[in-house]
Amino acid sequence: MQLVPTQHYLILAAVLFCLGMLGVLVRRNALVVFMCVELMLNAANLTFLAFARERGDVTGHLSAFFIIAVAAAEAAVGLAIVIAVFRSRGTVNIDELHTMKH
Amino acid sequence: MSAEFVLFWVFAIATAMSALGVIVTKNPIASAMSLVATFFFLAGIYVLLWAHTVAVLQVMVYAGAIMVLFLFVIMLLSLGEDTSMTKFSPTRIIGGVATAGLLAALVLAFRKLPEASTGWAASVDQLKAFGTLSQLGDVLYKQWLFPFEAVSLLLLVAIVGAVVVAKPRI
Amino acid sequence: MPSFSIQDFMPIFPAAILAVGAMALLLSEAFLVSVPHASASRGYQAVIGVITAAFAGTVAFHNAFEDPRVVLQGFAVLDPFSSFVTVVVAVTVGLAVLLSAGFLKHRNAERGEFYALMLFAAAGMSLLALSAEFITLFVNLEVLSVATYALTAYLRRGTRPAEAGFKYFILGAFSGALLLYGAALLYGATGTTKLAGMAEVLRAASSGDKAWLVYCGMVLVATGFAFKVAAVPFHMWTPDVYEGAPTPVTALMSAGVKAAAFVALIRVFVALAPGLGPQVPFVLFGGLALLTMVAGNLMALPQRNVKRMLAYSSVAHAGYVLLGVTALFAPAAGTEGHGMGVLSASPLLGQVPASAHADIYKAILFYLLGYAVTTIGSFGVLAALERREDETRGTTWDLDRFAGLAHSKPGWAIAMAACMLSLGGIPPTVGFMGKLLVFRAAVDAGLLGLAIVGVLTSAAAAYYYLRVVVYMFMRNAAEGAAVPERHWQTDVALAVATAGVILLGILPGPVTAWLTQATMLALR
Repeated sequence: MQLVPTQHYLILAAVLFCLGMLGVLVRRNALVVFMCVELMLNAANLTFLAFARERGDVTGHLSAFFIIAVAAAEAAVGLAIVIAVFRSRGTVNIDELHTMKH
Repeated sequence: MSAEFVLFWVFAIATAMSALGVIVTKNPIASAMSLVATFFFLAGIYVLLWAHTVAVLQVMVYAGAIMVLFLFVIMLLSLGEDTSMTKFSPTRIIGGVATAGLLAALVLAFRKLPEASTGWAASVDQLKAFGTLSQLGDVLYKQWLFPFEAVSLLLLVAIVGAVVVAKPRI
Repeated sequence: MPSFSIQDFMPIFPAAILAVGAMALLLSEAFLVSVPHASASRGYQAVIGVITAAFAGTVAFHNAFEDPRVVLQGFAVLDPFSSFVTVVVAVTVGLAVLLSAGFLKHRNAERGEFYALMLFAAAGMSLLALSAEFITLFVNLEVLSVATYALTAYLRRGTRPAEAGFKYFILGAFSGALLLYGAALLYGATGTTKLAGMAEVLRAASSGDKAWLVYCGMVLVATGFAFKVAAVPFHMWTPDVYEGAPTPVTALMSAGVKAAAFVALIRVFVALAPGLGPQVPFVLFGGLALLTMVAGNLMALPQRNVKRMLAYSSVAHAGYVLLGVTALFAPAAGTEGHGMGVLSASPLLGQVPASAHADIYKAILFYLLGYAVTTIGSFGVLAALERREDETRGTTWDLDRFAGLAHSKPGWAIAMAACMLSLGGIPPTVGFMGKLLVFRAAVDAGLLGLAIVGVLTSAAAAYYYLRVVVYMFMRNAAEGAAVPERHWQTDVALAVATAGVILLGILPGPVTAWLTQATMLALR
C-alpha cells in the first residue's frame, strides 16, 4: 500500500499556518483577523493528526479534540468582545482602535 | 498513483486555495464562507489521515457551530466591504519576513524528516481500531481525565465571560 | 486499568476551591441579590471572594510540603514550586478582589460575575503552574486567558475597555496558536505531549534528522510564552491592554498572570532543555532578557501617564525574571557537558541536583512574590485615585493627579512611595531583596554582563519611580482638585500590600528560609 508521505500533510499544515499568520498581520477587519487565528489552530490540528497516523498513536487525535473545544470557547468570548467593540465605536477596523496613545 | 494521492492533491489544493480566499477577499462574508470551505476540505484530509472521528467533529463543531456564530455576528453588525488598504508599518514588514522565514524553516525541517514508516498499520486489528470512537473514549476517560475536566472549567468560564461581555451596560 | 487515587487530586484542590467559590458567587448573584441594580446588597460578594482565596492559599501552602511527584497519569505535578506560585496567586487574587470592591461600588458596577471571573482566572493560574503536558497546559492557559479577556472588557465606560479586551484577545489567541503549533511539532519529534516523556526522547531526536523539527517547535513555544509574559519584542499589546483594563484587573494581570506564565515557561524549558543542550534556551532567553530589561525601562522613562508607566515597568520587570530564567540555562564553567548533566531529564524541579539551581529558583520565586505584592499596591493606589467622571479623558492617570497627595491622603502617599521604592529596587523594600537575589544568582551563574545591564537599567528606572514620589511629597495639589472617596476594602488591601512590601524587605528571612527548605524538600 503506497501512502501519501506524512511530509506532504505537514507542508500543507505549514502553508495553512503561515497563511493564517500573514492574515493576522495584514487584515484590518477584527473578525477576519480572528478567522485567521482559527486557520492557525487548524494547521496545528492537521500537524497533530499527520504525526498521529505516522505513529499509530491516538494522542494526536485527542489533542485535536481538545483544540476544537478550546477554539469553540475562544470563539464565544472573542465574538462577544468584537460585538462590544462595535457597540462602543461603530467599527471593527483594527487601525481605528487607537484611543490609547502615549 | 493510488486513489489517496489523487484525493490528497484535490483536497490539499482546495484547502490551500480556500485558505488563501480567507485572507484576500474584501468582503467579510466571503472570508467566512471561504473559511467554511477550508474546514470542509480539511475534514476530507482528516479522513485520508484515518481520523474519521475528528473529521466528523470538524464538520459538526467547526463548520457547523463556530462558523455559524461568525456569520451570525457578521450579519448582526451588518459589516460591509473592507475597503481600507493595509498600511505598511515596520512591524508588519518584520512580521511578513518572519512568516516567510518560518515557512522556509518548516519546509526545510519537514524535508529532512526520515521517510514515514507506518509499519504499525500492517496489523489489521490495530488499523481497524485506530481512531475509532471507542478507542478514543477509552484513552480520554481513563488517562486524559485532567485536561478533560479542565476543558469543562474552560467552557463554563467562556459562557460566563461571553454573557458578561455581551451585556449592553454594566 | 489505570486508576486515580485521592492523592492524585491533591495539587488541584486549591484550583477546585477557587472554582467552587466562583460558582457560589454566580449562584448568589442569581438567587440572593434582591434589587438587581443596587450595589448595596452585594457587599458580601467581595468577602466570599477573599475567604475563598484565603482558603485556597492555605491548602496550597499545605501542599508545598508534599514530596514532589508526577500525578494524574503524568498530566500534572505536585511540587513545592507550583504550590508556592499558587500561594502567590491566592494572595494576589485576594487583594485584587478587595481593590475591586471599592472600585466597582464607586461605579455602581459591582456584580458577582466579576469576582467569579477573577476567581476562575486564579484557578486557571494555579492549574497552569502544575500542568505537565502540553495540551493540558494549553487548556489551562486558555482558562486563565478567557477569564482575563472578559474581565478586561468588563466595564462599558468609554471605548477603552472593549478596545483593550480586543487587543488582549487577538494577541492572546495568536500566541496560543504559536504555542500549540510548536507543541504539535514537538509531538511529531517525540511521539508524546507529556513533558516527562518528551524529555526522554528529545535527546535522540534533537541530534538526528529531526533536529530542525525540534528547534522549530522550541522556538515557536518560546515565542508563544514570550507574548504571554510580555517580553520585548513581543510586548506591544501590554501598554494598551494594561491601560484600558479596569485598574484592579490590571493589577491581577501584571502580578498573577505573569507569575503563572513564568512558572509554566520554566517548567517546560527545564524539562526539555536537557534534550537540546541548554545552549538554545540560554541564547533565546538571554537575548529576550537583555532586550526586555533595556527597552522596557527606556519606554517607561518618558511616560507621564502613571498607569502606562507602570505597564512598561511591568515589561521591564519581566526582563529581570527572564534574567533569572537565563541563569538556569547558563552553561557551567568549563564544559558544555556539565551543563547538560546539571539539568537532569525530568520535569520535576526536585531532581535538579545542583545547589546553584536551588538558589536561582529561590530568587525567581521570591522576585515573583515581591513583584506581585508591590504591583498590587501601586495599581491599588492608582485605582483609589481614579474618578468616575474623567474615565473617558486621557488625563485620568496623569502625574499631576499625584501632586500633593502626601497632604490630602498621607496613608495612600506612603503606600505609593513604598511601592515605587520597591519597584525601583531601593532598600528597605521587597523589590530590593528580590533584585539582590536575582542579580546574585545571575552573577553566580556567570552572567556578569547581563547582571551589570540589569543593575544599570534598574538605576535608570529609579528616575521615573522617584518622580512619582517627588510629585506626591514636594508638589502642591492643583486648586480645586477633587478629593477621592475612600472605601475600607481599598484601605485594607493597600495596608496589607504595603506591610508586605516593607516587612518582606526588612525581614525576608522566614520566606527565603522556607523557600530554600521547599526546594530542599523537592531535592530529595
